[in-house]
This record gives sequence, C-alpha cells and structure tokens, in this order.
Amino acid sequence: MKRRRQRGHAMIELAVSAAVMVSCVAGTVQFGYTFFIYNQLVTAVGNGGRYAAMRTYRAAGQPDIEKGKAAIRNMVVFGDSRPAANSVPQVANLKPEQVQVDWVMDDSGKPAAVNVSIVDYTVDAAFGMFRFTGKPAVEYPFVGRFAPAESEP
Amino acid sequence: MRVRQKGFVLIAMSVAMTLMLAVMGLAFDFGRIYIARNEAQVFTDAAAMAAASKLDGTDAGLNRARQAVAKLPMRWNLGTKAFTGVVVEFSPDKQSWARVTAPDNQVEITFLRAVGGPAVFTVPAHSVAAAKPVRLIE
Repeated sequence: MKRRRQRGHAMIELAVSAAVMVSCVAGTVQFGYTFFIYNQLVTAVGNGGRYAAMRTYRAAGQPDIEKGKAAIRNMVVFGDSRPAANSVPQVANLKPEQVQVDWVMDDSGKPAAVNVSIVDYTVDAAFGMFRFTGKPAVEYPFVGRFAPAESEP
Repeated sequence: MRVRQKGFVLIAMSVAMTLMLAVMGLAFDFGRIYIARNEAQVFTDAAAMAAASKLDGTDAGLNRARQAVAKLPMRWNLGTKAFTGVVVEFSPDKQSWARVTAPDNQVEITFLRAVGGPAVFTVPAHSVAAAKPVRLIE
C-alpha cells in the first residue's frame, strides 16, 4: 500500500515537473528563434536602407520609381538588387512583397529620405507564431544622385 | 529512506530550474542584447550618414546635421524605445566627416539575473560617415 502511494507520488511529480520543463523549453525555442529572425530582419532592413540611400533615384516615370523600389526590396531580401531566379532569401521565408519602401520627398520634389520596413512577416517558431508589421524599420537620408529625367536600365 | 526520497525531487528540480534559467537567459536575454546592439548600429549608421550629408563647413551646417539626427524615427529594444544621449561629433573643419555615438542603450536583463547576471547590460554603438561618399551606387 505504502509503495503504491509512493509510485503515484513519483508520477504526479514527474507530470508537474515535466509540464514546467517542457513549457520552459518551448518558450526558450520560441523566443530564441524569433529573436534570431528579428535580428536578421534588422540587419537586412539596415543594409537595404543604406543601399536605397546611395542608389541613383531615377524618376522619368512611375515605372522607373517602381523598378527602383523593386531593386531595394530585392536588396533587403536577397542581398542583391538583381537576384538570380534561384536565389534564397537571407531571412527564412521573407518575400520582396513583405518589404515596404517609402520615399520622403522635400518641398522641391527631390527625395530627402527613404523608409524601409517589414510588413506582414510571420515567424513560425514551432510553438507559436509572431507577426511583424511596421518593424523593424529604418530611415536613411538620401545621399545618392537625383536623376529626374533618367529611366531605369 | 522515505525522507530522502521526498527531498530528492525538490533538489533535482531546483538544480534543473537553475540550469533552465541559465539556458533561458542565454536565449532570451542574449537575444535581446544582440538585437539592441544591431538596432543601435543600424541607427548610428543612418544617423552618421544623415549628419554627414548636411555638412558644409559652417556652424549652421552642424546645426542642420544635429537636427537631422534628432529627426530620425528609429527605435531600439525591439523597436519600442527612442535613443537617448546621442552624441554627434564633427571633423574640426566642419565639412569632412560626422561621428554619431548612441552610448546608453541599457537592455534590462530578465532571466540571467536569477543566476548572477547584471540588472542591465549596456550596448553602445558608434558610426562615422564621410560628407562626400567615396562611391555611390548607380
């Protein structure tokens, strides 16, 4: 009788401690992986912002502006403004559509700064999902060449 | 015999929890520290470039440079806290380069405190940018 009761104790103890331990491990994996991805996003957005800041701004027409933004998005995602067809994103599952590029124009219609941010990106961290929208974000001053009459090659 | 057995789980759990806290600390706190460091670096990179782009050899240029740094919207601590105590320095001729330092970004430690870690960990960052970029991207 006594032995049996002790066995039951061990079972309960195991159950309780395992529940605590497993949730600790799950939380560690979840947050650890999410932070890892977030850090990669910060780096990617920073590099893309720097590229955007130094890149020639060509604005012969709306398609040229869009082409420029596409190049900036590719720089954030692939680390390359013209990625090969089989390029792998630098951050897991990041797509160019999830990068937002906004130009800030000054009063004379020249680009003054550029905002690059991540929109609607979800981290799948095995035990939970985190959605990032609007962050990480970066603003760089525009220091490149302004070419209002040129079109993108 | 029974008495020993009763205490065993308690001791085992406390040893395991201490190890667990340390592991959680490594994942959680170090994760935040690395992110804060990276965010601070990205901020100072952009800020140095913003400051340098305003330089023209005059004191007015230096003021415009300081304003440009203050205007940047970047945040740290997972994009929540504004940078404080930002220092902007310039070359003596007021037109060659700017240096931005974000010195006091203090990440609050959560789990590592329980195993003897500090309460806050400071992650400073600084960047220097030239007023005339050596090479622009076409």
